[in-house]
Amino acid sequence: MAQAMRPQMMGARVSRVEDPRLLSGQARFLDDIQVPGMLEVAFVRSPHAAARIRGIHTEKAVQYPGVHAVLTHQECSVLLWERDTYKVGQPVLANGEVCYVGQPVVAIVAENRYVAEDAAELVVVEYEPVTPVLDMRESILEQPRRVHPEAENVFFHKKYATPGFDEAFAKAPHHLTASFRTNRQTAVSMEPRGTAAMVDAASGRVTVYASTQSPHRMREDISHLMEIPEHLVRVIVPEVGGGFGMKANCYPEDIVVVAAALKYKKPVKWVSDRMESLETDVHARDDIHDVEVAFDGDGKIIAIRDHLMADGGAYPAYPFSGAVGETSLASRVLTGPYDIPHLATEIHCTYSNKTPLGAYRGVWGPIASFIQEGVVDRVARHLGLDSAEVRRRNMIRPGQFPYRNAAGMVYDEGSYLQSMEEALTLIGYEGFRARQAKLREEGRYLGIGISVFVEPTAMASSEAGSVGYESCTIRIEPSGKVTAALGLGPSGQGHETTMAQIIADQLGVRFEDIVILHGDTDSAPFGGGTGGSRSGPIGGGAALVAGRQMRERLVKYAASLLEAGEEDIELGNGQAWVAGVPDRSIAIRTIAETAYTNVRKIPEGLPIGLELTARYLPKRPVTFSNGTHIAEVEVDIHTGVVEVTRYAVVNDCGTLINPTIVEGQIHGGVAQGIGSAILEALHYDEDGQLVTTSLLDYLLPESTDVPRIDVRHLETPSEGEGGIKGMGEGSLIAAPAAIVNAISDALTPFDGMVDTLPVTPPMVLQMVSGGRTR
Amino acid sequence: MAAVEDRISIQLQVNGRQHQVEVAPRWTLADVLRHQIGLTGTHIGCEQGVCGACTVLLDGEPVRSCLMFAVQAQGHHVTTVEGVTPETGLSPLQESFRDHHALQCGYCTPGMLLTAQALLDRNPTADEGAVREALTGNLCRCTGYQFIVDAVLAARDQGRDE
Amino acid sequence: MKPAVFQYRKAETTREALEALGTNPGAKVLAGGQSLVPLMNFRLSRPDVLVDINGIEELTLVEKLDQTLAIGALVRHSTLSQHPLIEREVPVLAEAARHIGHWAIRNRGTIGGSAVHADPAAELPAALVALRASVVVGAPRGERTMPADEFFLGYYTTALAQDELVMRFEIPLPARRMGFSEVVRRPGDFALVGAYVEDSDAEAAVTWFGLGAMPERQVVEAWPKGQDERQALLERLAREVQSDDEYKYAMAVNVAERAYLAAQKEG
Repeated sequence: MAQAMRPQMMGARVSRVEDPRLLSGQARFLDDIQVPGMLEVAFVRSPHAAARIRGIHTEKAVQYPGVHAVLTHQECSVLLWERDTYKVGQPVLANGEVCYVGQPVVAIVAENRYVAEDAAELVVVEYEPVTPVLDMRESILEQPRRVHPEAENVFFHKKYATPGFDEAFAKAPHHLTASFRTNRQTAVSMEPRGTAAMVDAASGRVTVYASTQSPHRMREDISHLMEIPEHLVRVIVPEVGGGFGMKANCYPEDIVVVAAALKYKKPVKWVSDRMESLETDVHARDDIHDVEVAFDGDGKIIAIRDHLMADGGAYPAYPFSGAVGETSLASRVLTGPYDIPHLATEIHCTYSNKTPLGAYRGVWGPIASFIQEGVVDRVARHLGLDSAEVRRRNMIRPGQFPYRNAAGMVYDEGSYLQSMEEALTLIGYEGFRARQAKLREEGRYLGIGISVFVEPTAMASSEAGSVGYESCTIRIEPSGKVTAALGLGPSGQGHETTMAQIIADQLGVRFEDIVILHGDTDSAPFGGGTGGSRSGPIGGGAALVAGRQMRERLVKYAASLLEAGEEDIELGNGQAWVAGVPDRSIAIRTIAETAYTNVRKIPEGLPIGLELTARYLPKRPVTFSNGTHIAEVEVDIHTGVVEVTRYAVVNDCGTLINPTIVEGQIHGGVAQGIGSAILEALHYDEDGQLVTTSLLDYLLPESTDVPRIDVRHLETPSEGEGGIKGMGEGSLIAAPAAIVNAISDALTPFDGMVDTLPVTPPMVLQMVSGGRTR
Repeated sequence: MAAVEDRISIQLQVNGRQHQVEVAPRWTLADVLRHQIGLTGTHIGCEQGVCGACTVLLDGEPVRSCLMFAVQAQGHHVTTVEGVTPETGLSPLQESFRDHHALQCGYCTPGMLLTAQALLDRNPTADEGAVREALTGNLCRCTGYQFIVDAVLAARDQGRDE
Repeated sequence: MKPAVFQYRKAETTREALEALGTNPGAKVLAGGQSLVPLMNFRLSRPDVLVDINGIEELTLVEKLDQTLAIGALVRHSTLSQHPLIEREVPVLAEAARHIGHWAIRNRGTIGGSAVHADPAAELPAALVALRASVVVGAPRGERTMPADEFFLGYYTTALAQDELVMRFEIPLPARRMGFSEVVRRPGDFALVGAYVEDSDAEAAVTWFGLGAMPERQVVEAWPKGQDERQALLERLAREVQSDDEYKYAMAVNVAERAYLAAQKEG
């Protein structure tokens, strides 16, 4: 029996190894990659939502001093098309038509970005505008026209109902209907997208620097789309300044940059500016849910019918459409943490003349929570019940796990009710109502909003991961120091720290003696990358499995060299020793020396060297994190401005690797949730022009918009390796619902309930003036 | 090919060092710091003065380096994140950022550090409200700001004790 | 997002600046650059020549002359917000300046630049109108002076000719009680609506911003003491201003009410 592991680093609040380089300005982001002779790209983009192209004139641009080349569809005709899934794909440079504002039409390759932009202005494109398709409900009816003549506007349609739904729904004593709308938002990573490519003269391979969440996925996409064998493509992901799902796709610009580097045999770089980012980074959250709810007099919800619609934009983002992601999973977790027996859903995903829809942190989750928590609050208000009490009456109970929800999703063990009760205590729910009533008399409108969430994580096929597993290579160097490599694509999550924590415990080496490599397809084993809250549970699981396998090897070495039984060997602090006899010890460095240089002493059956790769595929297709957010807001009914004043989170993501990092993720998600709830919206006008193309129009939360967030942890381990559950998205899944429910609560005297994200001051004023004061 | 524009030779004083650089008048200070002088710690996030990633200190005052042309910085002292980093290790504020997990992706961090450093230099007793107000011009998409505010307040307290 | 080509002229004196403006019809003045440079980065503004006035000492002065406060065009928002003379003589201006943009923006942005940019939702143009300031403009033909309410002509439009340079603002200093308030989504944003309300012994007036195409000062005989009556009057005044958003009227009344209450605290 091997000595029980005594984890010391797992669960510890370790400072990040990434920080010194980031704090001192030494980190290398995409735009910091600079090599001699590097050319820069600027794109000529569509100014129309929908138009036929009658001619492209590039002569003046070609002749402009400093311009190296000009590319149109003729020079670069790759199609971003997932053939088996969708009927249409986007040409990386427009081919005869444009289908959304910002679509790349011409690429200018020049000595620097200034010159490239000068030349881009000299390109003349003759457009013949056609009527844009902008309304989701009309698009379903193929009105005013088809976006793509060869394909129906509805590119994804699905219906589902639990057996006996109609009868159960009809027999329920109470019903209500509501229509929920989420407006387009986008990730807005502080570092915009970017790509650089150059041919390696020695090997003839192409090296692609990409600001992406998934290095291997990017390599696969480039290889597949451009018909270059995979072993001739190397993708390196430098420091990534935020991704949030938006950097999980392969974009037209990525392909154009690689094509230009190959064609002109020069290093080529493109970095998105902020206007390009708001126009062409995948958008998200363009959904409508028409909902009907059946419930009994106690507030027990019996059945939900939901017609889910999502505007997928002009093309499916490559390789997956966010519209399908947002609706199909929302339809499967729509009942959230509640035991609701009946569900009927119908999904329509449509094309339009808008930017393609992709992933933004939480994808389906913030929408599903907005619906599910909005439904619970409506039931409570309808019956005059306390909304926490209605939640209690509907909540899945501890004895019900594993729980199969009405859509067939199986939830592993969670702490649903406990998280809510603890959050209610944390925020002081008991005392709130009295405070609220008192302040209301003074003309101040406070509200409280509860959001109990489930977060499906570590999906065996996440939106970022082409694969459900992750891989980890561990190499103990001859010096005894450790190099480990994973296929992850971190963008601020601190994987160099957390993965090292996991491995340190397994190997018994010092945390400081481990370096984690990632983001280079030449060094990292094949993996799915980062997204869908998979890096902790699946990546961490792979690190754990690889660490355990290496540990077993170390134990065998130690047992042989110390002449003891394997079961008596303990590892720690860079040493192996015989349990209870600390004098009988050997340094891991000595074991490593033996493994590499003193190979005659290697115990029988073990290979030369200390290097191995492990792959980990979780047994369950998904593991659910959970928790509760409670927001307190104050609504200024005279100006419509909402302030989030207090905030409490009880979070359960299984076994914690690093609580501080988990808290950072929660804080950030809540901040984005505040943006989602009251600030951020991408707005198109009636011609299909995006009018929110700067950060003065698309409002991100500032330091004064986010209150102190009080966080408590619960730990219900998963059944997977290490008990780890994912947690990157849960806070943004929960937060918008908590905040809008708080706004609805504040506006109770005016009868209104929020049904649109985000809530703007004019909407609040309308709710105030439209309602009557009780 | 003829050049599209003339370049002029300017002297820039950055982090206490003189740099002679050839620039086009339209090149922003941010671009020249990054691409001519090689100080890539100054990041570009919006080029319209909203996000604060490109914040540098001009004679000790925080300014947007995306909204100044490099030619305008002649005769002024420019400080970038590289300039507030000690030769070895980190500054007390940088250490405090690390201790409090005040950064995730790190892209906004240099601008955040310079703004916070300028605040503490001016107002060594800044309270949470003052810290939050000073940082409103520096957007962070990762942290939700709380740990940044904590880090600045802790650095303030440390400065007081010294 | 990079600016188009331009030539750069650094002016050491107002005379040099005026000369450069006069000889280059495509020239523009570069003051703080916090409005102009974003426009140039978006290539929405593309001057052939940029005349940098940042080194001109006389444009940075703040002085009291008799019953007038003179503020140079190059005085930056950060100076406005904490200059002892401004804090004492026109505290409402210092207060308004603190609400402009963010710290780094206030360190560069100038009162002259803000006036010339004439954003209808900006704090300072409305302040100049509310304070009945005069705008002193330099031109090759000599200086001219005009009241602020004749300087602002509409959305991003002023009476300034291409070859002219705003030199300074002169603010009369009668005994004055004035309050300021604005509605913003986030601190530092341009206002959805804002108002300056004056309730001096001799004058009662409201000046909105973010409501119409330019700041407009509306004078009333006196503010009613009763809140309902006062708000009814404010509503009537607000409706005289053409706004593109109906919801702004309700906001405007409430924000002006707050400005009125702030004015009462001015003693």
